[in-house]
Amino acid sequence: MASSATTGNPMPPSLSMPPSQFARLQPHAYLRAHLSPPSSDQPSVRANGRATSQFRVTSVNTGSLTHANGSAVVRIGDTTAVCGVRAELLHTSDISSWGVSQAPSKQNPTNTNEAKDSKSEDEDDQGQIQDLNLLVPNLSLSTGCAPGLTPGAPPSALAQSLSHQILSLLHTTNLVRADDLRIWYQPPNFDSEEFHNPGEGMEVDTEQSGGPEREIKAFWVLYIDIMILSMAGNAFDAAWASVLAALRDTKLPNAWWDDDNETILCSDDFAEAHRLTLRGLPIASSFCCFEGDAAAGWRANVIPDAEEQKKKKGSQQKWILADPDGYEEGLTQERACVVVDKENGKTIIVKMEKHGGWNVDSDDLRKLVDVSSQRWDDLKQALEQC
Amino acid sequence: MADRRRINGPPAGTRPPVYASLKESKTGVSERTLRQRQPTELRKFYLKTGMIPTASGSSYLEFAPSAALAAARSNPKSLIPPSSALKVACTVHGPKPLPRSVPFSPNLLLTTHVKFAPFAARKRKGHVRDTTERDLGVHLETALRGAIIAERWPKSGLDITLTIVEAEDDRWWGDAPDSHDASWGMLNVLAGCITAASAAIADAHIDCLDLVSGGVAALVSDDASTAPRLVLDVDPAEHRSIQSACVVAYMPARDEITELWLKGDSSRAALEKSDGRTGHEALIDGAVDAARGANTILTDAVRESIARSFAQV
Amino acid sequence: MVSPILSQLNRPDGSAAYKCPATGYNILGAVNGPVELPARRDALKPEEATVEVFVKPGTTTAGVAERYVEGILRSVLGKVVLGREKGFPRRGVIITLAIAGGENMDRGDSYLTILPSLLHAALLSMISASVPLSMTFSAALFGVTKTGDIVRDPSPTAAKASVSLHVFAISSKGHLLLNESEGRFDFDTWELVHQRALSVCQGTASADGDVTMGEGAASASLHGLIREAVEDQIYSDYAYKLDSI
Repeated sequence: MASSATTGNPMPPSLSMPPSQFARLQPHAYLRAHLSPPSSDQPSVRANGRATSQFRVTSVNTGSLTHANGSAVVRIGDTTAVCGVRAELLHTSDISSWGVSQAPSKQNPTNTNEAKDSKSEDEDDQGQIQDLNLLVPNLSLSTGCAPGLTPGAPPSALAQSLSHQILSLLHTTNLVRADDLRIWYQPPNFDSEEFHNPGEGMEVDTEQSGGPEREIKAFWVLYIDIMILSMAGNAFDAAWASVLAALRDTKLPNAWWDDDNETILCSDDFAEAHRLTLRGLPIASSFCCFEGDAAAGWRANVIPDAEEQKKKKGSQQKWILADPDGYEEGLTQERACVVVDKENGKTIIVKMEKHGGWNVDSDDLRKLVDVSSQRWDDLKQALEQC
Repeated sequence: MADRRRINGPPAGTRPPVYASLKESKTGVSERTLRQRQPTELRKFYLKTGMIPTASGSSYLEFAPSAALAAARSNPKSLIPPSSALKVACTVHGPKPLPRSVPFSPNLLLTTHVKFAPFAARKRKGHVRDTTERDLGVHLETALRGAIIAERWPKSGLDITLTIVEAEDDRWWGDAPDSHDASWGMLNVLAGCITAASAAIADAHIDCLDLVSGGVAALVSDDASTAPRLVLDVDPAEHRSIQSACVVAYMPARDEITELWLKGDSSRAALEKSDGRTGHEALIDGAVDAARGANTILTDAVRESIARSFAQV
Repeated sequence: MVSPILSQLNRPDGSAAYKCPATGYNILGAVNGPVELPARRDALKPEEATVEVFVKPGTTTAGVAERYVEGILRSVLGKVVLGREKGFPRRGVIITLAIAGGENMDRGDSYLTILPSLLHAALLSMISASVPLSMTFSAALFGVTKTGDIVRDPSPTAAKASVSLHVFAISSKGHLLLNESEGRFDFDTWELVHQRALSVCQGTASADGDVTMGEGAASASLHGLIREAVEDQIYSDYAYKLDSI
């Protein structure tokens, strides 16, 4: 700062201050000044140096945790999410409503391989995964990841709603196949010769058709725990990407019902373990809408009609920022999130939400879907490299 | 009563998988990998500061995986990991004004939280902090309180949060817990926490008397006939049984110990004839040596942190 | 259509009972505001009111799903409330929505089917409590079936069977206040549903004039329904005046 140390100078001290001070004192004006382009043909640049639809550098690292069946560390800029998937067993004998709700004829899995994408199987899958709570995602923010979040406290409303969003998205996308989680058992055919030697007879029996029906003895329950180690905005994208990467990395041991011990035993052989076959690759992209005139609601209570607002040209009133960082999230209220998947090059929207304002209209959302589908390509590459 | 603030699993609970091949494994994991290091040789670890930019100070500590674990990673044969490698993330928030509800304090108030991630250990951990985690928090606070110059920040608080992403084993996974068994892995975790927290506090520019680092030494007996011998930086998975272990928080410049935790029976140590020390003296000396070793890496990490903050100015 | 009942409860500043005829959800909303929130002194904003939303399910205690839907409602309603009016800054507007009837929400359910009812109940309660609002809005749920038909207000079972579900909240001035969509769909489908939502909420004939006809002349726009409910309430509140004229 220039000082008035030069004696006798009547000039007041200069009012200049470093940008970091300005960013703290006048955050809204600071971001607005960054976004307003010096001339109309130049693109807007955000305070963090990114273009409006540019995402932060994303890195994915999987399989680094020793005790998880699948794990991933995802960094989106300064936001870090660690996800670990632990598989535990749920015996059907522990499910109180099992015998009642499951008709044995329904459990015939013969068509699973042929009709993988048939809707009826999807529904059946979702029903079992959802009814039996086979997917248990929990997100923790109490890791000291941001100054406002007290460690050791119970999950904040934000953590709870993020956990719910992840669970809801896991259910609606049918990402995990229920058949990957089922542990089947073919009871030995007691009429046949092998009755005296059930242990050996088991594998033979599976080939026979006349024996008792195959039954589900247990399910794998996937505990998906996400720790946000560093929180610098856009926790949902990072958390979802980490869940996706960890599930792709998850290996379930080969498990079977042991009739002698009346329990499920697993093989520790790596070669026998199977990976989950996930349905699609839904990738989330979050956006926020920065309003140029923050005081608009302060001065005028009359908000123009949607049509009028559209016609009004001139100085830009709003900027939609992709992958907002913590600073930008603090300055905006309107949020949008688009989850897209691609099938044969065609973009499919799996989830779309926007709330918290009225500046983002359907034209903007169309652009956001395009941005999200580009993001899908980038993140797919990052996920496949690891 | 199910936890309404979290997503719960099946109401009847779930069981961890049981591996069939504990005895006659085809994959050859049922053999304990013994310690390859010299008794005074420490494990390598990686310590970096400033990984979490949202905090005033932060650090990340990771132990180098043991040879067996590294081999299991690069060429996986079995799903049972032979050992684990400590991974700790530490954040420091503050110094910040105390909340209104807290009475006046002339010193910096320290709060430490140690939390294991649910996937940190072989057994799934709960979401609510259990007694082990609280205990570690108290020990850590004692270790750090002796190093921080607390009177420089009256009416302020400092939150130190440690997230254990991966913990140490208490014993080799194939062993049944025996009579003189204790949670030996916890001592290693505490030593790692002390070193990581010390780096994070320095990264947050909190004035300290010295950099405090943690070290572990143990008396181990690999077979029943010989007397237990002293090893530094013990990995419990590599030994048949641990008789006694000790963790210290040590400040080398002042030659001071701020925290000492000794477990087990240290009376039967196999020391040299000329060595006049008792078992526990030898154990503490060993732990201090281990802490000295950790301090060199800690100093490098802090030096790097300072260089970074100078570069920013 | 069962008309919503306003100002049913005596204790709170405002209340409303809203029953959605198609989905069967029955929501009882109560609003207190502006009130002092001494316990939340650190979280209060110096320039505007803090909007708090609580959702209470009928049969269980609130869980993670309620936290999520509360967050959405808070962000929508917080934008609509004129929180900078005199008497509102540094104070709170507390909206409590009790789900008194209808299907129970399962674990991990998306809450989309109930969202329009919650929004309507919250809006009517706020009007009943005379909380200043910049605009009113109405919301509708749409399901897209396997054959690509758009169904308005599908029942919970129909919603489960549909390929995608969409909730739109359209303000009285035609803004898109809220959109929650899930399932599998492309943007063109979404745009169709959006057009349908505009016509259902505003009741104006859009480019596709048939849509409004299809709704039937008897069922007016949702904005109209909200307006009628408020008009009826005002009429009964001021009945003594009208009688004296």
